[in-house]
Amino acid sequence: MKRMYKRAALILLVLLCITGLAFASSGKGQKEAAEEEEIVIAYSGFPGGLTPFWAQMAQYVKEEADAQGVKLLDMSPTQADAAMQKDSVDNAINRGVDGIIIGAVDNRAFGESLDNAAAKGIVCVAVDTAIDHPHISALAQTDNLSSARLLGQYIVDHTPKKGKALILGGTLGHQTGDARRDGVKQVLEANAFEVIFRACNWDDRLAYETAINELGAHPDIVVVFGAWDPGALAGLAAVKEKGLLDHIKVYGFDGLPPAIKSIQDGELTATVKQDNKQMAQVVVRSLVAQIKGQETVKKLLIDGFVIDSSNADEYAE
Amino acid sequence: MPKKNSIASRIKHEFQPLLGLLAIYVIFSILSPTFRTLDTFKTILTQAVILGTLATGSTIVLISGGLDLSIGSLFGLIAVCTGRMYLFGVPTLLVVILSLAVGAACGALNGAIIVGTEIPAFIGTLGMMKAYRGLAELLGANMDMSQFPEAFQMIGRGYLIPISIMMATFLLVYVILSRTKLGFNCYAIGGSNEMARRAGVPVKKYYLVYYTVGGLCAAVSAIILASRLNFTNSSWGVGLELNAIGAVIIGGTSLTGGVGGIGRTVIGVLIVTTLNAGLSHLGVSSSWQRISIGAVIIFAVWLDIMQRRREASGNTVL
Repeated sequence: MKRMYKRAALILLVLLCITGLAFASSGKGQKEAAEEEEIVIAYSGFPGGLTPFWAQMAQYVKEEADAQGVKLLDMSPTQADAAMQKDSVDNAINRGVDGIIIGAVDNRAFGESLDNAAAKGIVCVAVDTAIDHPHISALAQTDNLSSARLLGQYIVDHTPKKGKALILGGTLGHQTGDARRDGVKQVLEANAFEVIFRACNWDDRLAYETAINELGAHPDIVVVFGAWDPGALAGLAAVKEKGLLDHIKVYGFDGLPPAIKSIQDGELTATVKQDNKQMAQVVVRSLVAQIKGQETVKKLLIDGFVIDSSNADEYAE
Repeated sequence: MPKKNSIASRIKHEFQPLLGLLAIYVIFSILSPTFRTLDTFKTILTQAVILGTLATGSTIVLISGGLDLSIGSLFGLIAVCTGRMYLFGVPTLLVVILSLAVGAACGALNGAIIVGTEIPAFIGTLGMMKAYRGLAELLGANMDMSQFPEAFQMIGRGYLIPISIMMATFLLVYVILSRTKLGFNCYAIGGSNEMARRAGVPVKKYYLVYYTVGGLCAAVSAIILASRLNFTNSSWGVGLELNAIGAVIIGGTSLTGGVGGIGRTVIGVLIVTTLNAGLSHLGVSSSWQRISIGAVIIFAVWLDIMQRRREASGNTVL
């Protein structure tokens, strides 16, 4: 019995000593790391496994990081979970990276983390979704409001019979989703459409269920707009299931390959193309330039454009 | 001789997860210079708060031989309730009290359904998992629930307050489990429900209490996260119940009831959080982090089964 206690205590003691030594040498380790001149940046984006837009974004960020000769750590969460993403940003900060790119699951989650990054002098930039914090030093995104207005006008021009329009939105309060909703809504309401907005939390399943329910409750819906392409395709599936494809036009936002293919197939009417490659390039270049202390672009709003049957072949992969 | 063996095996049980945690910590400390900093240590503790408080409730339910799959959805429901109350202009103190009350009431409802209908806990709480999620979606639909008052944000901000709340939750449940009749009977019921009933333990009444504690812990956890992130929405907590149960099992609490403790859960939670943080520091992607946590869960349960077998065969021989 005593031997057992002794052995356990000894193992504990040894482990504690090793940890202590590790802590003691941490200053040295950091110094050594600092001596290496390689720039290390972290990327924490919306999970790529959930939508092709973000899978492409992660790929483009990596390609640009390679082109810039910096080391990239992809620390994106696997779930669209704001808390999990905040943890990943905190881990990147503790890891002592030189800069962080955030493609926010929810732009409201990072206040404390960004305060911490500011205190440690880590440069932070945002891609796709603006984050309202003074330490975010650059942003590259689609001009969601003006692009959504553009789409709104397109919808008005291509829908002779006015009626109800269903908007399947992102998460309420999310900067990108709100801008897309507002842009389309403003133009449609100014042109005698009645807009029904439903927040679907960027969740394709929820978009489908919402569309099915709303189509049942409002037989006079003539337009369905999904604020992100997978949500629009979920809405399209509901429209098809109800046998209403001849009466209802469905629109998306993102310009992803499945949406473009659907346009080519004559199902989805149109989508707004976002240039996520340019976003990734601009944001990585800006981050690296800031780390090097150079002047750079701090805000880039990229105009989206409409892809419909007239130009879908041009953008199809 | 059998007594000596059983004490030795108990010590082994108690120390194994702790040694595992220390080994993980030491390995990451050696592999990553940035991991062995005080900031990282504080971050690990902070990241453990949400899972830790939630898993505390799961511990007491699992020891009693129960199972609550609804706590993730309940977590989302409480978060939405908190946000909705602020939209109605309810003052912060009342928001916190009412959110805790909703959590406790929903936990008690879970217990009542299970003991009242005698359906298996798995089915009963699976049903409530769906119901709470639906309710959260209904209450949170088309609502922007963010920008809470400063007083509320204080609860989850920084290190000190959230970690203190977590420690207080641990301590409370530790005292319940180790110093009260409620705790003693928790082990008795989890060990053998039927034996406890025959011994005159009011099993149904106790189950109500255990599930209530589970709901209360889910509420504490949701309040801290809502405060930390300064917004809420109905999709919160998806899959969180399995993370909590996983952490409890990694710590060494038995899924079949009767064995376990809050100290083990603390270690289990820290193992999960340390693994996540450490692998992040090594630049390992989130997907691999999940795979490694899965492997640790399987390993922990396998180890537990092997030890029990060894003990059983040892006892037979003796």
